[in-house]
Amino acid sequence: MAAEISLMAAFDEGRRDFGTGEESRALDAFLRGVERRALRMAELATRSREEALDLVQDAMFGFVRHYGGHDGAEWPPLFWRVLDSRLNDWHRRQKVRGRWSLRPDDKDADDDPIAAAPDVREPGPLARMADGEASAALDAALRELPLRQRQAFLLRIWEGLDVAATAVAMRCSEGSVKTHLSRALANLRRALEAYR
Amino acid sequence: MNPTDDERWLERAKALLDDSADNLDAATLSRLNRARQAALATRRKRPSRWAWSAALAGAAAAVFAMAIGLHQRVAPSGAPAASLQPADIDVLSSDDDLDLAENLDFYAWLEQQPAGGPSG
Repeated sequence: MAAEISLMAAFDEGRRDFGTGEESRALDAFLRGVERRALRMAELATRSREEALDLVQDAMFGFVRHYGGHDGAEWPPLFWRVLDSRLNDWHRRQKVRGRWSLRPDDKDADDDPIAAAPDVREPGPLARMADGEASAALDAALRELPLRQRQAFLLRIWEGLDVAATAVAMRCSEGSVKTHLSRALANLRRALEAYR
Repeated sequence: MNPTDDERWLERAKALLDDSADNLDAATLSRLNRARQAALATRRKRPSRWAWSAALAGAAAAVFAMAIGLHQRVAPSGAPAASLQPADIDVLSSDDDLDLAENLDFYAWLEQQPAGGPSG
């Protein structure tokens, strides 16, 4: 009997600890801090806010379930890893359903260093556009990138993850991250310069 | 690529992306909030690792206690359990008594001898 009482007390205490504990508040704060960027990232991938909201919610559930108990310092790459996995799954489903619109492939002719090299006399893309126009141009250019290039750009440049953390998030080698990012930068630059 | 040039347009790109995330409409923010709360609620329903550990330790203690109880009930009908009686404790606590116990046969024989001592 005493053993049963101690068992029940342990479970109740465990629930209480999590419900109001520091860990719960830290998780809430972390998710609040990344959810908007996660939504924009998913929206750029799916071109649909509704689909993006569903994917972000799914990613939040998966992250809390699998990684909520991890140390808080490990959360950023793990959260983006879960979202990246959901985005990959979504793209695979679109392919299967035949609703996949053809986009530039990683093997496209973006390896030409001469074509990719910027004109150093120019101030660079986006510099001469007003905010609204520049934002629309950037969105369009990002949407046209292959998924892996876009993820490498958003995670490294926007989210600020280092190469190692980006590799964890994208489940690939650090070398692949550098390759995807290099191609993304070249493609973006070329696409955005067309707006000038 | 020219690093300075890259830095310039990448900073602009980051600022534009930040703006787009900061200026989401209220309905979208509300749905994000609900999604976050729902995800956190699933975590609250699960007992913590500490609770599972305590439960396992409690279960192990309960099983051990039951095993001890069963052993004590079975012992009387099986082989006689060795137990100390009060008289044994008295014997063990006194050197003289222990000597008497060890030489009981000698003292019994001595008792049966005639008063004048053994005749040869």
